[in-house]
Amino acid sequence: MFLITIYRILKTSVISLWRNRWLSLAAILIMILTLFTITFFGSLLIVIDKATGALKEKVDISVYFNDEVSKDQIFALQNQLMTTQSNIKSIDYISKEKALERWRQNNQENEKVRDVITDTYNPLPRSLEVKTDKPENLEAVFQYLNNSEYKPLIREISYRKNKEIIDRLILITSFVKKIGWSLSFLFILISILIIYNTIRLTIYARSDEIEIMKLVGASDWYVQGPFFIEGMAYGLCAAIVSAIILFFTYELALPSAIDYLGAAEAQAMLSGLKFSYITLAQIGVGLLLGTSCSVYAVRKYLK
Amino acid sequence: MADLELKKEAADRNKQPKKEILEHAPSKKENVVIEFENVSKIYPGDVNAVMDISFSISIGEFISLVGPSGAGKSTLIKLLISEERPTSGRVLVAGRDILKLKKKELPFYRRKVGVIFQDFRLLPKKTVWENVAYALEVSDASNEDIKEKVPKIIDLVGLTSRTYALSEELSGGEKQRVSIARALVHNPKLLIADEPTGNLDPVSTWEIIELLFKINKQGTIVLLATHDKEVVDALEKRVITMKDGRITSDQAKGKYLL
Repeated sequence: MFLITIYRILKTSVISLWRNRWLSLAAILIMILTLFTITFFGSLLIVIDKATGALKEKVDISVYFNDEVSKDQIFALQNQLMTTQSNIKSIDYISKEKALERWRQNNQENEKVRDVITDTYNPLPRSLEVKTDKPENLEAVFQYLNNSEYKPLIREISYRKNKEIIDRLILITSFVKKIGWSLSFLFILISILIIYNTIRLTIYARSDEIEIMKLVGASDWYVQGPFFIEGMAYGLCAAIVSAIILFFTYELALPSAIDYLGAAEAQAMLSGLKFSYITLAQIGVGLLLGTSCSVYAVRKYLK
Repeated sequence: MADLELKKEAADRNKQPKKEILEHAPSKKENVVIEFENVSKIYPGDVNAVMDISFSISIGEFISLVGPSGAGKSTLIKLLISEERPTSGRVLVAGRDILKLKKKELPFYRRKVGVIFQDFRLLPKKTVWENVAYALEVSDASNEDIKEKVPKIIDLVGLTSRTYALSEELSGGEKQRVSIARALVHNPKLLIADEPTGNLDPVSTWEIIELLFKINKQGTIVLLATHDKEVVDALEKRVITMKDGRITSDQAKGKYLL
């Protein structure tokens, strides 16, 4: 008994969706735009967040020493830092040999450059790499070093550059967040308006039939049901198409990302995107938007 | 001066109709199906559609409702099928105040009151069968029920030969018969006909009236709102006359008085 009702209501919805196919298409398109925007920016944020996190790991102060400085002095400074500074995560000593190893690795492709520095001729300075738990705390270490008695021993303290990068990333993140939110909000608003209007128009288009239905004593399900289903259908279609588009965007972006950042990096950054969750979330939002719009429109225009 | 005249006119209008014209003797209590108790319907803007009307309808009656345009006939019908709610007074059907019907009970009430209109209101691009079956489909009838009832009702209104014709292909009289068939699908206790012959030629008019008569003979109350003087006079049945929202006459074997 119940099945027949559902079947009949579904039949009415499908026929109505087909009859108003251009209207339906417009509603679905705007929803696709909305869902895509939200998920795109969401994904972007996740990716940037991961990148920032990874970079934060790499942020440190490198304290380069003049060649005359003795190893003991270096270790003394190391101890000093460890004891007086809180927030220190690690301090690593980079010897000349280690520095040479790194030099060779960084300049693998370029023999000429690589061979400038050899075991015998190694002007690379020794250094201490100081990592703090948060990049913000590096400033304190820097100040300390600048004002300490060890200053004359130090050839160079390099950390500004990394800090700049992090600051810039944080700026980019908040910028992307702002744009993301504004665009998403805008599109959600437009979606709501369009779907609401579409349902209103379909109600109007079927007003004759609805009047007959009421006259003949149709139960509320028959009158209102098809409109709810139409709202849900808009949401569902939009979610599926949007998920497909997002997937293709991802597929297209991946090779470029790998080219630009290196496979490992790219993989790490994009690992935050779990497609099953994203698709489910889109379907959820789509259904929510579609159904609530139609419920509201029905309540208002079908007394 | 002008004010006084206006007031006098208003007072005249508000006077109760003279008792002598109300000849119709009220039926025994058990047979009363519908009662209007001092019902008024005032629309926003102080439009008095229906003012303080009281009457009752008993089992098996055939009533003609006559009156000029704007007299309140359509409003009365709307009140009866609960499409509008009275501003004051009660409409009792089978002893129950229909205002107190819960929202989900309304469809069931509507199924017990069949209505047909001057403009037929059929579903376009559907056959006679589909139009009649529709009324059953939207009330959760099973497919077997539909297959059983629909041909019987189509036969009752004499359209068996046109069962599969599309509504656009039917003549005016045939369309109205489909409307009647659809209205009868739930075995209603009351059949309301709101100017059913307005768009029909004289021959079709009489066919429809005869059909309504036949349905009345089978036990359904028929309330016929009409302008057609000849029909009303020929029927020699109860006639309720309305003017300016009030009942001005209620006669057991009435004539078209206006």
